[in-house]
Amino acid sequence: MSGDRAPVIRVDGVSRWFGSVVAVSDVSFDVTPGITGLLGPNGAGKTTLLRLITGLAATSSGTVTVLGEPVRDNPPLYGRLGVMSEHESVYGFLEGREFVELMGRLRGVRSLERAVDRAIALVDLADAQHRPMGTYSRGMRQRMRLAATLVHDPEILILDEPLNGADPRQRVHFQQLLKELAADGRTIVLSSHILEEVEQVADTVLLIVNGKLAASGGFRAIRAALNERPYHVRVMCDAPRKLASAVVTLDSVDAVNVDPDGAIVVLSRNVRDLQIELPKLAQAAAISLRRVEPLDDSLESVFGYLVER
Amino acid sequence: MTAPPPPGGTVFDIGYQRYTGAREGRGRGRRAVFKDGVRAAMGFGRGARAKFLPWTFVAILSFIGLIMALIAGAADRIGGPGTSDQLPSHGDFYGIASIILFVFAAVVAPELLCRDRREGVINLYLVRPLTGSDYVLARWSAFFTVMVAACWLPQFILLTGLAMGDPTPVQYLRDHWLDIPRFLAAGVVMAAYVTTLALLTASFTTRRAYASVFLVGLFVITVPFTAGSASEIGGTAGRWISMFNLTNIPVHVNDVIFGEASEITEGAPAGELPKMLLVAWYVLWTLGPGAVLWSRYRKLTP
Amino acid sequence: MRSVYRLTLRQLLGRWRLSIMTVLSALPVVIAVLATHSSSAPSVQEFEDVAFSTLLAGSIAPLVVLAIATAAFANEIEDKTLANLTLAAIPRWQIVLPKLLAVITIAAPFIAVSALLTSHIAFLADAKATLAVTVSAVVGVVLYSSAFVWLGLVTTQAIGVGLLYIVLWEGFFSRFVSGVRLLSIRHYSIAWMHGLDARRFAAPDHLGFTVAIITSAIVFGGFLLLSIRRLRKMDVP
Repeated sequence: MSGDRAPVIRVDGVSRWFGSVVAVSDVSFDVTPGITGLLGPNGAGKTTLLRLITGLAATSSGTVTVLGEPVRDNPPLYGRLGVMSEHESVYGFLEGREFVELMGRLRGVRSLERAVDRAIALVDLADAQHRPMGTYSRGMRQRMRLAATLVHDPEILILDEPLNGADPRQRVHFQQLLKELAADGRTIVLSSHILEEVEQVADTVLLIVNGKLAASGGFRAIRAALNERPYHVRVMCDAPRKLASAVVTLDSVDAVNVDPDGAIVVLSRNVRDLQIELPKLAQAAAISLRRVEPLDDSLESVFGYLVER
Repeated sequence: MTAPPPPGGTVFDIGYQRYTGAREGRGRGRRAVFKDGVRAAMGFGRGARAKFLPWTFVAILSFIGLIMALIAGAADRIGGPGTSDQLPSHGDFYGIASIILFVFAAVVAPELLCRDRREGVINLYLVRPLTGSDYVLARWSAFFTVMVAACWLPQFILLTGLAMGDPTPVQYLRDHWLDIPRFLAAGVVMAAYVTTLALLTASFTTRRAYASVFLVGLFVITVPFTAGSASEIGGTAGRWISMFNLTNIPVHVNDVIFGEASEITEGAPAGELPKMLLVAWYVLWTLGPGAVLWSRYRKLTP
Repeated sequence: MRSVYRLTLRQLLGRWRLSIMTVLSALPVVIAVLATHSSSAPSVQEFEDVAFSTLLAGSIAPLVVLAIATAAFANEIEDKTLANLTLAAIPRWQIVLPKLLAVITIAAPFIAVSALLTSHIAFLADAKATLAVTVSAVVGVVLYSSAFVWLGLVTTQAIGVGLLYIVLWEGFFSRFVSGVRLLSIRHYSIAWMHGLDARRFAAPDHLGFTVAIITSAIVFGGFLLLSIRRLRKMDVP
């Protein structure tokens, strides 16, 4: 994660909209060798962002540079880039081996036979390689697609939800494989909506929520950063000021604002304790709580992902 | 966040609102599938791209009706009133427009059936209180409605044009009012036939493109073949071969309704066969495919 | 390039497609046989008009090509496998051209044989006429292929738009509006026929042979370039 070398992938002020729907909004980051995890809820814009990075889609604004060159409309770059998209569909009539060979040929691999053997061995599918891919199980299809992604030994790997449909054993095997590949100096970008997957392999995490980059950096650093921001929690009850004066005595509360519409907004850095103590307090003061909701939209999801352990 | 988590496992009430309203049954489901079918066919509620093809076809059909009306009006002005009686009119429209109607159905009908089966959405329909036959009947009704509208609209345009072109529109309508129930009935006849055949073809494949090409290919093959060989061979055999001209089957019934052969079917040997036979043949070619279509969907389970 | 070519061949060859194409291509031959064996044999002009102009060039050839050419890219886009090809380190034309050639490889033999047999029967083994018909039919296939491959890239409704084109533009307008003939692939094909065998097929109101050759080349090259450009600019699913 050193910053003195040129980044392998540079995303600069990238936005992408479809009509009036903004899928990715002004995102900027650098990717360096190692494993970078792209994390976020479904619909956050991960897949769109990855498609922008691989040049499959055009940006509405901003630039994406891979190895110093623009990635869009730059076919020679694909010799150094291995991409596994989210779509699991393959040419069903091709044998697994034929598919990997085809991908290898299209990427200009020399000594094809050996490369294909190696790739198929890496994913442990040597005994199924001569069957048509239409007969594969979902997990086998994913693994063969991974083999096709690795056949030309790319220095950069972009993988969109590669572990979809993988059973626990495959997951462990896959994570091991990724770590080995990264140890050789490769750059791997991996997307997922599952916390554990990313946590176990990624050195760096990029958190995307609602098309925006919500956090980036090391895992623990993000958690620490989050712990320092107070969360805003809105409470509606039948005696706001009375509740406010009781709530402000809690240790978990930093500050309380009273809104003109009768709701109070509680700023707290320890929402877990707040969750426990607030109802007790309300009960003791004979106040009924009508509604309790977090105001930080982005943190609602981050909350569940990173803090709730 | 409305209650503290009790020890050992929790289910949070995150405000999921349970539906407490009325739950309607199959009828509601059928209506919903019907409505969705009409929307899918005509591109309502989808972008401009989805509207392009169906509305282009409607425009073409309307245009044909309009042109026929204009030509009739011009003929009357040039050759004196009554000249236009010789020209193609309501009874001929369906024959003239039949190829357009068939291509319309070939292109749009697969949209209603193929997509659902390809994407597996059909299962979502079937787990509701909706059976396979409910589904296919609703889809059929939807496309039938669209086709009837597509058949009737140009006829009304033609009628308006002819009435307006006449120096005494009201008198014209009074003289020719019989045309109206005739073209309405013939329109229903045409629409039922085209809908059933198109949907039957669509029920055999999950790729829209294959269904469309197969249907058009079917017409392209049978029409010139039967037309050519029927006039070559002649006699009873020729008439029966002409019966297999698939685009003419509903047009013959149209002729029966209007009492005279239309422009397109004038030369067709099949027209010489008894009227009841022509109608029965039509019924066979509509109900037969309809029954096959129904049976294909009846036994579907999620 | 060879890999894309072979892949496309395998993708497009399917039992149903082949059977439909065989039946469609056999039709003009059957009509020719019937026509020559009937008592009231039509004149050359009539026969040429019906069998070749209308049937072959006007509907059979474009339909056969439509079924195959649109599938070349449209199927890949629908199945979302196109990215496998576009993420290759090869220039885009090395994806488009082999696909186009595969389409032609499959469609041309059907149409060529159909044209060959039909004219052989109709013109009683007149070699020059037969050659003219066959070559012009193949030219038609090549032109339609380039147009429909592009169409398959550009829209998911390729079949519908293609059918509209065939039925309306080629089937209707180009008959009655002479200006449209300059933009009608069917008429280029017919012009080739006349150009190659003037003594049998000459007719005054068709396009000149040289003009037809030039426009054919422009149409083919134009659609090919448009397809390449589209592949470069589009968002690949």
